[in-house]
Amino acid sequence: MPAAVGILRAVDDNAAKAVSAGHEWGHASPHRVRIVDATLTCLARYGTVKTTVDDIARQAGLSRATIYRAFPGGREEILGAVVDTEAARLFSALGVRLGAASGLEEALVAGIVEASTRIRDHPALNYLVAHEPETILGHLAFEDSDRLMKAASRFAAPFLARWLRPAEAGRVAEWGTRIVLSFALSPSPRTDLCDPEQTARLVHTFVIPGVRALHRAATPQTTVLAPASLSPHHEEVAGVGPRPATEGAIP
Amino acid sequence: MDDIRERILAATYACVARWGLSKTTVEDAAREANVSRATVYRTFPGGRDELLDATVAWATSEFFLRLYEQVQEATSLEEVLELGIRFARRSILEHEVLQRVMQTEPEKLLPALTVESVRVRDVMADFLIPYLESRGVLPGVDLHEAADFLARMALSYIAAPGRWDLEDPEQVAELVEAELLAGVVGPPGDPR
Repeated sequence: MPAAVGILRAVDDNAAKAVSAGHEWGHASPHRVRIVDATLTCLARYGTVKTTVDDIARQAGLSRATIYRAFPGGREEILGAVVDTEAARLFSALGVRLGAASGLEEALVAGIVEASTRIRDHPALNYLVAHEPETILGHLAFEDSDRLMKAASRFAAPFLARWLRPAEAGRVAEWGTRIVLSFALSPSPRTDLCDPEQTARLVHTFVIPGVRALHRAATPQTTVLAPASLSPHHEEVAGVGPRPATEGAIP
Repeated sequence: MDDIRERILAATYACVARWGLSKTTVEDAAREANVSRATVYRTFPGGRDELLDATVAWATSEFFLRLYEQVQEATSLEEVLELGIRFARRSILEHEVLQRVMQTEPEKLLPALTVESVRVRDVMADFLIPYLESRGVLPGVDLHEAADFLARMALSYIAAPGRWDLEDPEQVAELVEAELLAGVVGPPGDPR
């Protein structure tokens, strides 16, 4: 597996690509995706150390020559493409859910559930965590997760900025990423973040009040801010007062 | 903790401090602890792997004992969390052995630390319960679930501050108010 730097650079790059609409990683060989998916199958079975180009070729139903034509850099290049592809797929799926949400709370819940589910159900990831923890775990904790959170937050912030100011959107996006990572690294018997209802409960109980608090901290001049009316940025600039509160319903 | 066990762990830690994780052997630990190899293997039947895991666990406990001493003076829930996060973060950055091993052998250390952080979280949550009880949680909030959430979040910032500057007391206060306590006890000064 590429070093931490490689993984996180890929995540960074893909976050950036996914944000700009119509990103494409168009490549020369028509076999690239097939080879990547075949590699994922192998990784889920044997991990990174034992997966060879022969295994990949067999799984893909292609010759070694074809594999090397698509990936002249061989195994390392293939593994890099695997990380690229999976990161792009994750951000793509997240983008769909976040874009479809009609409110902040819905967006947070959908995003957290989507990310958590994809992490939990990822066969290659599961194999690596179980059998090669040094490959993955090292890079999901401590300093490296700073980069992960930055990438995730840069990606999600524009979506959340529909309901929050840009700075708040960034903070809340990072916070959501923290929550996903914490529960992914060590699940709670009480709260399953792959379950929309349980996630909604967590978001409503712990996150939404915090969003209001972050908003208060960012707007000291607004003395009375109705809890639910996190009004769009332009309303405050125009000096219009907050909308009347609809209890618990952040639009 | 058993005297011999403690002695071996402290000795192993000293070896790791000197030579790193990969180069520390059972022989090194035995010599440093002034016990026989047999004693080490008796105490840690899983051998070197078990010894090193236990050493990480021991060093982590020591770290949090130190942290506990720092936050003992705190009287409010906010203070406990703010002091705890700030001291923990600074201690990590100033922890020579941890920093060195992180730079040189992260792939050996981080899986063990990840395992440890789950155990630490439970200890932290238990520690916070009395503070939560005396402060009172918002209606509908489960005490233990809240404690678990607080511990998860606190550990998350300590491990990776993200966009927060944990040297800045104002930022830490804001972080604690919003991303930890807002849904648990409500805004400060809330009548209950």
